[in-house]
Amino acid sequence: MSMKAFELVPAIERGKLTSDKFKAQIESIDVCGKNLYIGTSDCFIFHYCIEERNQAGKIAFHSEKQGHKYLGLKKPIVQIKAASALNRIIVLCDNTVTLLNMFDLEPVFSGAKIKGVVNFSVNDNPIRSNPFSVEVCVALKKKQLQIYTITEDRIVHVKDLPLPEPAIITGIDEHYVCAALNTQYCMIEVETAFIQDLFPYDNENTNPMVKKVTKEEFLLSGPSALGMFVTSAGISQRPPMQWSDNLIAVSCVQPYIVAMNDEFITIHSILDQQQKQAIPFQGGVFMDDFEGRLFIASAREIYSLVPVAFEKQIEALLYDKRVAEALELAENAHKTGMTKDKFMKIYKRIQQQAGFIEFSQQHFDEAQKLFLNGEVDVREIICLYPDLMPSGSNFTRSSPPLHEIPSISILVRNNDSVMETYKSFLRSFLEDVRNTKQSVGLKQEIDVALLKLYAENNSAELIPLLVSDTSCELADCVEYLERYQRHHALALLHKYHGENEKALHIWTRLVNGEIQDKSFQGLEFVVEFLANLNDHELVWKYLDWVLEKNEEFGVQILTQRPANEVQSERLRPDAVIDYLHRFPLAVVTYLEYLVFQKKLEKEKYHTHLAVLYLDKVLSLTKNHGSKKEDVDIARCKLRHMLQMSNLYRVQLILGKTKETEMHAECAILYGKLEEHDKALRILVHKLKDFGAAENYCLVNSQGKEASYRKRLFHILLSVYLDPSYETKDNLVAPAMSLLNSNVADFDTVKVLQLLPDTWSVSLLSQFLSRSLRKSMNKSRLARIETMMARGENLHVKQTCIELQQEPVILNDDRNCGVCSRALTDPTFIRYPNSVVTHVHCAKNKYVCPVTGKLFSTRPS
Amino acid sequence: MSGKRKPDLKVIIMGDFAVGKTSLVCRYIEDVFKKHDTTIGAAFFLKQWGPYNVAVWDTAGDERYTGLSQFYCRNAGAAILAYDVTNPQSFESLWARFMPLIESATENCLKVVVGTKIDLLENDKRDITVEEGRKLAQELNEGLDLSKLEGDPYFETSSKNGANVKEVFEYMFQYCLPLTGQQKQKYSSVKKDIVDLYETDSNSPRAKKACC
Repeated sequence: MSMKAFELVPAIERGKLTSDKFKAQIESIDVCGKNLYIGTSDCFIFHYCIEERNQAGKIAFHSEKQGHKYLGLKKPIVQIKAASALNRIIVLCDNTVTLLNMFDLEPVFSGAKIKGVVNFSVNDNPIRSNPFSVEVCVALKKKQLQIYTITEDRIVHVKDLPLPEPAIITGIDEHYVCAALNTQYCMIEVETAFIQDLFPYDNENTNPMVKKVTKEEFLLSGPSALGMFVTSAGISQRPPMQWSDNLIAVSCVQPYIVAMNDEFITIHSILDQQQKQAIPFQGGVFMDDFEGRLFIASAREIYSLVPVAFEKQIEALLYDKRVAEALELAENAHKTGMTKDKFMKIYKRIQQQAGFIEFSQQHFDEAQKLFLNGEVDVREIICLYPDLMPSGSNFTRSSPPLHEIPSISILVRNNDSVMETYKSFLRSFLEDVRNTKQSVGLKQEIDVALLKLYAENNSAELIPLLVSDTSCELADCVEYLERYQRHHALALLHKYHGENEKALHIWTRLVNGEIQDKSFQGLEFVVEFLANLNDHELVWKYLDWVLEKNEEFGVQILTQRPANEVQSERLRPDAVIDYLHRFPLAVVTYLEYLVFQKKLEKEKYHTHLAVLYLDKVLSLTKNHGSKKEDVDIARCKLRHMLQMSNLYRVQLILGKTKETEMHAECAILYGKLEEHDKALRILVHKLKDFGAAENYCLVNSQGKEASYRKRLFHILLSVYLDPSYETKDNLVAPAMSLLNSNVADFDTVKVLQLLPDTWSVSLLSQFLSRSLRKSMNKSRLARIETMMARGENLHVKQTCIELQQEPVILNDDRNCGVCSRALTDPTFIRYPNSVVTHVHCAKNKYVCPVTGKLFSTRPS
Repeated sequence: MSGKRKPDLKVIIMGDFAVGKTSLVCRYIEDVFKKHDTTIGAAFFLKQWGPYNVAVWDTAGDERYTGLSQFYCRNAGAAILAYDVTNPQSFESLWARFMPLIESATENCLKVVVGTKIDLLENDKRDITVEEGRKLAQELNEGLDLSKLEGDPYFETSSKNGANVKEVFEYMFQYCLPLTGQQKQKYSSVKKDIVDLYETDSNSPRAKKACC
């Protein structure tokens, strides 16, 4: 019994019946539209008109007596049934069914009646559907049922249905009659009169009942106060329901079954057969549902059982903080025939309300789920927390209110740990909501609240919040961040709002140690920021400060600029280099950046860099304490620079290097001046690095024709074999290895001329045979190429002859293949597939305009 | 409950008071063993068997509901006649009370005799032998072709430890709504989440023959 599904409301005001000279007891009632008929134990029929009124959300009835009629039999009126289509009421009194006029309660003129009747039932879904007739099943005193069709003033007998024993109660739907006989229930098919026994009952303890529930399904009162569902097929599709004893009446208003006994009205759900509500009600004599409305009569009073609107039921449950039940009811409420949109709207609101209840009870998981599902306006939650809403917000809480919580301080009651749990709930909730569709348009509120929460307990998420797309506005956040000394966050906020100067100011103070913030990463961060800052004035302003702090970092501001940055006068390389004179490390790095990364092809920078490199080497060599590795690294850099670049002033550098022992560098420089002989001589004689010499030939001939390379190798060979040099014998070995080398390339004739006559053939055999083979190969390749070219030529000629072999005949009958007009011009186009067109109709000579065939685009 | 679609098979469980009928169903449907109140009238369960819906009706064993049991028996495709192996009286009842009730089930209703509470049986202290139970089961199903099934329609179960419970139901389902091994696999719970690209849908028209 978890809910209040129905409310008992008087249908006819108390005391009204008595005042209307109503003496006996109510025996039966019927309601049809606004008409209420009462049959009494002393054979009176009263006719009232009732009106349902909705007064401030409560249903109330207003009734007015229309008339009454005494049937003159001194017997109780057992059954009344209105047949509005006929303007008649069907009355059972003294075992006789008669018809009365619905309005003046006069008997029909024909006086039609059925005698010997115990009980009758009306078929709501008759098979023969004459709208101006009513099908009725009557149970007679003898062992028989009868089917009648009742029209305005006639009662027509349709069929007899014999029974094994007399029936007490009947119910009819479509073409099945369900009847309670003396000792058992049975289902009778009207067409065939086939009787199917259902189950026996004990007629001493059980009051038999037959109530139509749904199409071809009846509810019967079984043994031991069970409510049994039976279909027309004689089987049950639902489990039975447990009622209490002394049942008086049963009714059905979807989705509920209402049962009345001498003390209570109980309400079961037809869906799960569980009892949902019980209303104390004593002395009930009659209950039935009429067109979905339930009316109950005690001896002298008539009530209606009004279904409580499900919103109200839910409201009541929520008021009792029975959230789970409320939600379950709400979920089932869409069965009441609401549109989906309307239902979702209501359902969401219920979820929100439920969420606030869970929230107030600190059931945060449930609350969060409900808030998310209910798509609550996050401001509703944020505004409960003091100071978390942006100061500029003009949000007002929803009306009618979703909850009764003025502020969480009421829920917290100065308990700090509780406050903390509430705050952490808000945090996790906002984090979940952020970037979902629920946050659309509310980003500012969410972000500001999050920022304040993070700032307060110095959470690590504060920084990511500000770095990514944030909607925090400056006004109150600045104050909050200052209060909790989140300097770095504050600077980030400034930066986000474009106030870079303010941000930089804070960061300089942090770097200088004037203020502290653990989340600040130090100078690197500032450098990175400045490197990406496109306000060059500001960069310039802070550049000096950073360089003073750390030259190597500082120069990154200049070298790690975004690739697509707009150039400005401030950061023009010349100006920067001039400025950087004070910082020798920085200037080298910057020049390297210009030369190697930006690949600026300006002699000035290249020379400058080369000179700086050279100076470095010179200073290191001069200083005898310096390590060899450092010197090697410096020289390596220099050599790389000299080799790589072609732009520096070679003579200038050469002049400086010549004075020193830097032979390798000299060799490179001579190479640049195309003085290969000198360069190679240095390499061979001074450095004795034959590998480097060979490499020199390769490097310097890169990208040049083969003859140039041959010339270089030839020079090298002649250097090896130079008779003027005293130690020439020592160079025979490298000369031989050069000759036999795979990479080297020679003009064989010249080599042979150069070689001393004294050398034996066997010494040279490898070189000679290789050269021979090479030249043989070359000659053969050339011949093959010639023959292939000739073959191709023949092939083309053949095609050409084939194409020209047939004449193209043009006459008056032959039209252009594209425009189908006559070909009048002397020139025309013929495609290889014999399509002939105008010159102007042939758009593409490789595509046939008629068939779309592609012809080879290879020039033949 | 889904009264909308008619179940493909109705199974009814009958037997004397407190032999453990509800426990048997609960063990099968929910796979739990717990205390149950006396069933009032009847209770109802739905079970998926392959593509079919099976309605399992658990009746009340109390004698005053005997009249209802016959009613609930109507149209049952299979019936479980349950007795308590520790209580010979409950076995007698199957003869005396429940055999007549089954008349109202379908003509070729499969009757499975099930001994419950086998876990309570101490060694050598059997009042009803396996042979007796098997004999009853054979007699009840005279005229039914059970050759396709493995063994007699007689089981001894324990709802407490789950022994033989699944077998009882699957034995009946397999008799009334036979599933091929393929179908069984298809509807087994694991398979449900997997899309089988090679699955041949019998409804779809056969693949067109390739032209030329």
